[in-house]
Amino acid sequence: MMDMTEMTEQIRVKARELLSKDEVACVIGYETGPRGIVRPFFAYEPDEADRLVWNDRCAHNLTTYLHDWKHPRGQSQMPPSVGIVVKACDARALNLLIQERQLTREWIYVIAVVCQGMRDGDGEEAPLQARCGRCAERTPVVHDVLVGEPTVTPARVDWSDVQALEVMTARERLAFWARQFDRCLRCYACRQACPGCYCYECLAEQVDPLWVGIGIDFSEKFFFHVMRAYHLAGRCVDCNECERVCPVNIPLSLLNRRIVREITELFDYTSGLSPDEPSPLTTFRPNEELTL
Amino acid sequence: MDTDFEPRIVGFLCNWCSYAGADMTGTSRIPYPPNIRIIRVPCSGRVNPLLVLKAFLEGADGVLVAGCHPGDCHYADGNFYAQRRYALMHRFLDYVGIEAGRLRVDWVSAAEGARFAEVVGELTHVVRTLGPWSGNRMGQDVTLPS
Repeated sequence: MMDMTEMTEQIRVKARELLSKDEVACVIGYETGPRGIVRPFFAYEPDEADRLVWNDRCAHNLTTYLHDWKHPRGQSQMPPSVGIVVKACDARALNLLIQERQLTREWIYVIAVVCQGMRDGDGEEAPLQARCGRCAERTPVVHDVLVGEPTVTPARVDWSDVQALEVMTARERLAFWARQFDRCLRCYACRQACPGCYCYECLAEQVDPLWVGIGIDFSEKFFFHVMRAYHLAGRCVDCNECERVCPVNIPLSLLNRRIVREITELFDYTSGLSPDEPSPLTTFRPNEELTL
Repeated sequence: MDTDFEPRIVGFLCNWCSYAGADMTGTSRIPYPPNIRIIRVPCSGRVNPLLVLKAFLEGADGVLVAGCHPGDCHYADGNFYAQRRYALMHRFLDYVGIEAGRLRVDWVSAAEGARFAEVVGELTHVVRTLGPWSGNRMGQDVTLPS
């Protein structure tokens, strides 16, 4: 396995090269902040490339920042190329955005990193994040340059958290979700962090709301969360950013993963594996009959 | 079970088949439960699954979504999209606490007046057995469970 310092060095070299040759306007990566916490970093100058880091705290899915770059700056102008550091889960989000015509592959330079899993908390022995424990694909599906050696990790299929809810009665589940959603502040951090949530005007935040309320009573919070999960049906790449950024720890992965599993069962589809395959809910097979 | 309970059921019926089917039920003088409130929509593909959720949160105890039989859609393929959406939504609603039996998605053609009465009858029976859905009064007369 390649050392993290070595990987950091490779990322820096590549970023410096791209920036000095003017191939990209910016490289989006990670840096260590003044208090030792890893945070997203935008390198615009070749000299800034040395601030980039790679370690097991680089949890953010940076592809969500690409939405700020996807529009031309002037008439008939192409948007500037941008370099981005991605992990395996982020790379699937890239495929999703390319498939949905949000990005063009040629505009992005993908510095893909073979990820060994992200950790929470302090110290070397901090536990792997739950999503990383479940991760089967550690080699990114899209890359222009690959940092690290591709490895195959056996998939640890674990649906126990979803199954724990499924054995309850519907009434108990309603009570469970009512307790979870009760904490929601409607801060929309889950939506902001999600690479798949990119509407200019969110249905949940209309200036003139028609039927989706913006209140924080039970029914509107319930609606918001089911809506958020359902809008990502067949698109969610299970990067789990929504849950990670939630300030009140709502277990959003329980909603997302249940849909991910249903999509796999119903349509045998995994989102983000290919830039050509559309989400199963935007298409259908002729004469298909499903159980309703 | 609350014997006074009368289920409130919202029916989203497609203009071209199911709404005409419901009309046929009436003109054929076939009785069916009066619990259903019908909303006419252009196509079952128009019924955003979130409209169903909204209906529940606004006080419905059951929802019916009916459209043309697959292959007979006025817009050629609207109900195929609907079919995929509801195959997923059905399972998902159950997961967030709305029993699967409360939502029925079915195909009723303009000639199937008797079948429409049958579908509404079955759904009303199922919802009556399930009782009122408590989520729509959460935070009002029903307090949050601890």
